[in-house]
Amino acid sequence: MARRYWNINLEEMLEAGVHFGHGTRKWNPRMAPYISAKRKGIHITNLTRTARFLSEACDLLFDAASKRKQFLIVGTKNKAADSVARAAIRARCHYVNKKWLGGMLTNWPTTETRLHKFRDLRTEQNTGGLNRLPKRDAAMLKRQLSRLQTYLGGIKYMTRLPDIVIIVDQQEEYTALRECITLGIPTICLIDTNCDPDLADISIPANDDAIASIRLILNKLVVAICEGRSSYIRNP
Amino acid sequence: MAATTATAAVLSSLSFLSPNPSVSFLFPKSTKPFFLSGSFPSLSLSLARPQPKASDIDTAFFDDLDPEEEVVFDPPTPPEGFTPPPAFDDGPDETEDEIAAAYEELYGPAYSGISVLGNDVFVMDSKVKKTSAFGKVKKDKVRDGFEERVVQVRRVTKVVKGGKQLHFRAVVVVGDKQGQVGVGVGKAKEVIGAVQKSAVNARRNIVTIPMTKYLTFPHRSEGDYGAATVMLRPAAPGTGVIAGGAVRIVLEMAGVENALGKQLGSKNALNNARATVVAVQKMKQFREVAQERGIPMEELWK
Repeated sequence: MARRYWNINLEEMLEAGVHFGHGTRKWNPRMAPYISAKRKGIHITNLTRTARFLSEACDLLFDAASKRKQFLIVGTKNKAADSVARAAIRARCHYVNKKWLGGMLTNWPTTETRLHKFRDLRTEQNTGGLNRLPKRDAAMLKRQLSRLQTYLGGIKYMTRLPDIVIIVDQQEEYTALRECITLGIPTICLIDTNCDPDLADISIPANDDAIASIRLILNKLVVAICEGRSSYIRNP
Repeated sequence: MAATTATAAVLSSLSFLSPNPSVSFLFPKSTKPFFLSGSFPSLSLSLARPQPKASDIDTAFFDDLDPEEEVVFDPPTPPEGFTPPPAFDDGPDETEDEIAAAYEELYGPAYSGISVLGNDVFVMDSKVKKTSAFGKVKKDKVRDGFEERVVQVRRVTKVVKGGKQLHFRAVVVVGDKQGQVGVGVGKAKEVIGAVQKSAVNARRNIVTIPMTKYLTFPHRSEGDYGAATVMLRPAAPGTGVIAGGAVRIVLEMAGVENALGKQLGSKNALNNARATVVAVQKMKQFREVAQERGIPMEELWK
C-alpha cells in the first residue's frame, strides 16, 4: 500500500474535538496505548496515533476503491445519521443510517427478499399502480414502502455483501460489527475510549460524540474513496 | 496408471468413432477430478469465509510497540498545488437524478426500482429461484461433492399450554472422503426439512483432518465436548474403522480408512460427533511439528 497525502492536520482535528474521549470511569483498559492524558475527568486520545491510523485507513480505502470494491457505512446515532447519509451519497457507497436490522449481512438472503419487495413497491408507485387499489390497501402499501425506505434506503443498490464496512460508533453498532466478524469482512471502526480496539481490523481512536469530529473523519475517508474511484477510471 | 491406460483406450476408440478432434481433448480433463477434487472444494471453502481461530492471532506486532514511546506522525509531503477537496456537505447540491445516475453507473439498477440510464429495472430477478407452483421444488441433491449421512433423528417435544409441539432434530455428518468433515444439527417439523437444515449447518463448520498416506491419523488424540470424551488412535493399514456409532460415521465420511476410536464419556451421539471433531483438530502433521520446532522429522520418529 503506497502512502499518500491525505491532508490530515492535527490542528484541524483539535478544532473539531477529535481528541476528546468519554468520561474516565467508562474507559476500556485496552485503549490504554491510545490515551495520552486525563483532563477534567475526560480521557484525551493521542492525536498522532489517530492520524496514523486515519492515513492507513485512507490508504486501504484508496486501494480498495481502485479495485472496484463495495463499501458500506454504518452509523445509526441520531447525531450522525444525517452526515453518514450525505457522506455515503457523496462517495457513492451504501449506507445504513437508521436502525441496523439484525442479520442484515449474515441473513443476506432474507434481506434480499425485502429488497425485492422494496423494488416492486417502488415500481408500482412509479407506474401509478397504487392509485388503482382501494384506499386502505394503498395506505398499507405506502406505509410499507416508507418503512422499507427508511431502513433499506441506503442499501438499495447493494447486490452482494460489501467488501469493506465502515462503522461510526462501535458501542452503538456492536451487532453490525459482530456480523462482519463472523462473515470475515474487514472493518474500519471509529473507536472511543470506552470501546475495544481489537475487534475491528483498523480502529481509529476518535471522538464519536461530536458531530464535527465524525464529519471530519468521514470526510477524509470519503475523499479517499472518491480518489480511488477516479484513479480506477483513469487507468483500469 | 489404470486410469491413464483407460483414457488411452477411450481416446483411441473415440478417435476411431468420431472425426471431431476437439472431443478427445475433453477426456484427459474429465478423469483428473479423481485426484484433484480434494483440493478444489477446500480452496473454495477456505476463500469463502476464513474462520478466525485463536491460533491465528498474530500478536507479534505488539512486541515492539511501546505505549510510552513518542509517536511521530510524518505524512508524506503534499503534492504541488494541493487544494483540499470540498467536504461532503459543502459541495454543490446534486439533484436526485444525478445521484441515481452515478449509483447506477457503479452498481447497475439493483433494487432501486428506477433506471435513469436505461438499464433493465428487473435485473435482480434472475437471481431469485423460481418456485414451481405444482409439486415440490426439486433441489439438486449432490452439490459441491459432499456426501451426507444422518447420524441420528430424534423427535423432541416442547410442551405448551395447548399441548405438545413435536419437532424432529437431525444430526448429520457431511464429508467428502478426502479429509473434510462437518457436523451439523437442524430442527424442523418434518424429518426431511430437519435433515436439510442440518446439512446446511454442517457445511458451515467444516474441518480438515490431517491424514497420513495410509489413510490414518498421525498420532493418538483425545477430545471432549460436553460430557462426551472420545479417544482416537491410528491403526495399521487393513484394520478398517473400529469405532462406535457417531465416531465411526464421522471418521468414515472423512475418508479415514484405518483407525481405532472409543467413546469414553457419555454416549450422546451429537456430543460424540463434536468431540471427534475436536480431537481431530488437535492433531498435527509431523511436517508441521518439525517446522515449528525447527528440527528434522527424523527426530520425531525416535
